[in-house]
Amino acid sequence: MTRMITAEVRDDLVTTPRRPGSRDKSRLPDLVGVGPPLALFCLFMLIPMVVALVLSFTTWNGLGNPRWAGGANWSRFFSDPVARTSVTVTLKVVVLSYVVQTPISLALGLFTAGRQRYRAVYAAIFVLPLLMSTAGIALLWGSLLDPNFGAMTALSKAWHMSFLNQNWLGDPNLTLYVIIAIIAWQFIPFHTLLYAVGRRQIPAVLYEAALIDGATPWQMFRRVTLPQLRYTIVTSGILMIVGGLTYFDIIYIMTNGGPGYTTRVLSLDMYYVAVQQNEYGYASVLAVILGAIGIAVAMGLVRFSGFASMRSQQAGAT
Amino acid sequence: MHRRRAALAVAAAAAMATVVAACSSSGSSAPKAGGTGSGSGGTATMWLVTTGPSPADDAEKALVSSFEQSHPGSTINLTLVENQSYKQKLQLAMGAGNPPTIFWTWGGGILQQYIKAGYVEPLDQSTGSPFLPSSLGPVTYQGKLYGIPVQGTQPVYFFYNKQIFNQYHLKFPATWNELLSTISTLKSHGVTPISLAEGDQWPGLMYLEYLTDRIGGPQVAKDLEANKPGAWSNPAVIQALTDIQQLVKAGAFNQGYQSLKFSGGGSDALVYSGKAAMQLMGDWDISSVMGSNKGFVTSGNLGMAPFPTVPGGTGNPADLAGNTASYVAISSRATPAQKKVAKEFLKELASQSYAKAQVSAGEVPVTSGASGLFSGQDLATYDNTIYSDVQKAPSFQYSWDQALTPAPSAALLTNLAQVFEQTMTPQAFASAMNKVAASGT
Repeated sequence: MTRMITAEVRDDLVTTPRRPGSRDKSRLPDLVGVGPPLALFCLFMLIPMVVALVLSFTTWNGLGNPRWAGGANWSRFFSDPVARTSVTVTLKVVVLSYVVQTPISLALGLFTAGRQRYRAVYAAIFVLPLLMSTAGIALLWGSLLDPNFGAMTALSKAWHMSFLNQNWLGDPNLTLYVIIAIIAWQFIPFHTLLYAVGRRQIPAVLYEAALIDGATPWQMFRRVTLPQLRYTIVTSGILMIVGGLTYFDIIYIMTNGGPGYTTRVLSLDMYYVAVQQNEYGYASVLAVILGAIGIAVAMGLVRFSGFASMRSQQAGAT
Repeated sequence: MHRRRAALAVAAAAAMATVVAACSSSGSSAPKAGGTGSGSGGTATMWLVTTGPSPADDAEKALVSSFEQSHPGSTINLTLVENQSYKQKLQLAMGAGNPPTIFWTWGGGILQQYIKAGYVEPLDQSTGSPFLPSSLGPVTYQGKLYGIPVQGTQPVYFFYNKQIFNQYHLKFPATWNELLSTISTLKSHGVTPISLAEGDQWPGLMYLEYLTDRIGGPQVAKDLEANKPGAWSNPAVIQALTDIQQLVKAGAFNQGYQSLKFSGGGSDALVYSGKAAMQLMGDWDISSVMGSNKGFVTSGNLGMAPFPTVPGGTGNPADLAGNTASYVAISSRATPAQKKVAKEFLKELASQSYAKAQVSAGEVPVTSGASGLFSGQDLATYDNTIYSDVQKAPSFQYSWDQALTPAPSAALLTNLAQVFEQTMTPQAFASAMNKVAASGT
């Protein structure tokens, strides 16, 4: 069965050699097809980025015309202690989010892709946070962690567990990790879904073959599941990392970047510099840097992982 | 393939750039005359701030319609704008050369930026004469008047739970040393002495404002506002910050004060539920507590007291800090006809009838001679004290976060929060703020 279908698909993929005369004709529809998305891409992606780059060399408070400032904003970035803190905090959020979310999502994904009893019930519970809006999540956790009237404090009193009675959102050494945990709570369900879908697409024959070869469950995971999930891991990783770089809403609602600057990520810093301090030139520097890091990381991941070539992972299996 | 990869990455990253550029796209056009494009002669537009439907809104609406009746042919299109988004909305409208004829302002640093850029119409000095002189500071720039109060004054007081003070036979401290001993007494009884919502960052600023004034007098804050070099290292500021950290070390504040927010009502709840004894807050706290626990206020349990004096300080104990008032100003980009309507309308804001309407709405107006208006009102005792305090105050220090320009103001709030968290020393605070002020725009 599988073999036949694959053969059909492969037929489609074979490019028919073009005759010299048909070249010009075939290009026109291409342009017509590509035009609208290209125009939208320029309008909403390229042009704003170029404008931000230009603005980063100006001083402008939103009134009148921007004044040329040369590299002043850029040299300010490199001597700005707040910006340095923001970069560090952002990197922490990205790295820790990835490290925390990936194994949990993978484990939950593999579990929900299985055929155990009540699997659907568990899956529904796991996915629950995905149904909540970010603002809702932030307010919910905010009131749970409230040090005076929150559920954690009540629990710590009722069960005499004093470690629950922390200054969750006000302790400079703790709050960032609380925030990272809440971000994980919010996004693990999504990545769990990705992994569950990825796992279900692995053909059963691979496991049957491994079983016949006498593979242990760990070996099956290590030699079959993980390699087969390669692109899922890359996709989920890019989403986590780029998402982590630009993460904003929960931090904005719950801590406003505080206490002090301890949860002030780069995107929040950019927002405050632009909207609260009306320094659009310097805010553009932050935006360009954030954009550049995002592009570099995404391109690096794509290249490093071989994602772009989209080689089949199932050669020989079908 | 390579190109698609780049495109994917660009797409992933462009979202952030869009934010900044979206703000900027409207800005390059020069300001043009004509207000919001309502070209016809006698129609002015007005933006006022609202924090949700309130009696103060109704008073404003009533004033507009009575103005339109007494001035046939003149119309004012009033738009009530939500508080949080107002500053940005106005900034964008100003930058795009499309502001309303009459716009709400808190005066201070942001208004000064607009004045310097030539966006604000100067007013006749006589327009301001019906108001208490101390109330016009935030809208006066280089001796010229640019705004008129539209809503009441909001000085800052200590609000305290009288039941707690009675229970432990305490009277509200009048001096700093009494405050410290009250704090230790309250702590020994397991009561949190002071409720502080530093998660919002501005509540801590009120301590710095009052302490600086009590210690060094009003000139210190004036130097800060004037951006004098090194003004933040003034010994009075350093002393005030040290005193703040003394309070923190004494355990004066509630647990989790770093993240508690006033807007959620949490810091009020600590006081009226008896968990904490007092809170330093603007006089809006009266209506805020009323909103969540009316009985507590009407049964007279909410005490109100001035900030204690500091021994050896040169500031007058009658000095106040807080929001002097909220104002309206006129855009210089409006048509002559619109400006004429607007100036006529601003005169109405000084009228006795509007002052009366404000009092019924729970505001304390800053027109001179309003003292007789409070009797019979729900909150007459509070309002009478507030009004006469404002009348008598030798100096009414305007909230620094409003008085300063946006960049130093933002740095002030965050750095001060770090002082409250003990992660920044007073000296480090001063040098950080001096640096921001020196690079200031």
